[in-house]
Amino acid sequence: MRIHIRRTGGFAGIERHAEIDTADRADAVDWHTLADRALAAAHAAPPAGVPDGFRYTLTVDDRTAYCTDPQLTDDQRELITRVLKEGA
Amino acid sequence: MKESVTQTRITPAPTTPVFCTIVPPHILGRLAESDDPAWHEPARRTLEHDALHRTRRTGLAAQARAPQEARAAADKPNRTVYDAGHQQDLPGTKVHSETDGPSKDASVNRAHAGLGATFELYLKVYGRKSIDGAGLPLDATVHYGEKYDNAFWDGQRMVFGDGDGRLFKDFTIPVDVIGHELTHGVTQYTANLDYQAQSGALNESISDVFGSLIKQYALNQTADQADWLIGADLLAPGVHGKALRSMKAPGTAYDDPQLGKDPQPATMAGYVQTADDNGGVHLNSGIPNHAFYIVASALGGKAWERAGQIWYDVLTGGHLAKNAQFADFANLTVQAAQTRYGASGAEHEAVVKAWSQVGVLGK
Repeated sequence: MRIHIRRTGGFAGIERHAEIDTADRADAVDWHTLADRALAAAHAAPPAGVPDGFRYTLTVDDRTAYCTDPQLTDDQRELITRVLKEGA
Repeated sequence: MKESVTQTRITPAPTTPVFCTIVPPHILGRLAESDDPAWHEPARRTLEHDALHRTRRTGLAAQARAPQEARAAADKPNRTVYDAGHQQDLPGTKVHSETDGPSKDASVNRAHAGLGATFELYLKVYGRKSIDGAGLPLDATVHYGEKYDNAFWDGQRMVFGDGDGRLFKDFTIPVDVIGHELTHGVTQYTANLDYQAQSGALNESISDVFGSLIKQYALNQTADQADWLIGADLLAPGVHGKALRSMKAPGTAYDDPQLGKDPQPATMAGYVQTADDNGGVHLNSGIPNHAFYIVASALGGKAWERAGQIWYDVLTGGHLAKNAQFADFANLTVQAAQTRYGASGAEHEAVVKAWSQVGVLGK
């Protein structure tokens, strides 16, 4: 499973993105569960969001969904934080 | 003492700042947290003194208007600062209210001081009581998230991260960032510009314009003394750049291996079409930002006086549509300059020239 996170907007307007491939990971099952939950609670189209809030595009294999700060679920926040930190 | 009472009254005409400590509060806040007693002791004393002075002034003003209606309280800010404790639950724990003395937490002091500086500009220069014009309490949350590289307006309060320390420092450091966030509140209560494409870039630009004016007013700078930067002091040491945006020269604020290069256009020739960032609201804001800089520079003197007044008249005048395009906004500023200063005034000419120079209006 490929998990790709793109962050745009924010006060600085600087884009960041990172990706994780769970294929070689021992904790792949945990990643899949987390990604599925995060995507299930995200939106099909980008929400309007709040001024200067970060916008996130979550892509898991061929599925894409959107969410924004500060209205993230705990799963979305954990997924975004981990992928941006650990991904390439 | 009499003077103190006078200072609390509304004077809609342009004035010099009452907020006139030589070192601005956000810098004091930083010095106060310094490890070096040579810096922190005087800074802490000054902050304490300012707080005491404010309390005295509040007391006096309250006596002076004792029998009057409570509405007069809108002449003063009512600030509350919350601490998110590095979590992302809003608003967090209440840690500071209007009458409290300085906190040991420099972020709290900077947020409190920045809310005050913003309140001051809107009240003293434009006669506006708080962001809604009716004395709305001002709330801020600091220490949002872990090493969180952002500040935003959530519709009710401004929210600040500490920055990761590698790219960005604490977002409460630049007073123009605080002014920027609160101005999103002013826009929300007035023109309520859609946060998408050109109207979104106008929304962003208005926040940069008044954010910069709040800093210039606090420092009592003229247009040629101002740095016209947004987020100076926000970039961490080692980052190649001066700030996040430059109104004087959009596209030149930073050029860094980590951050990339400042992508802002200064004119319509560089307008960026993108689906990201709500249609590039933080990119294309460079165009109206630069127009404001050109007007303010052409007129000279204090930018909040005539240039700021024209922009404020348009924002609050009731004719700016939610989905306004750059040209709509530009035409309204031309009309506002004419209404306030006459058709043959330098103001009208400066506004027409500026929008033409950035390619929004024809020559």
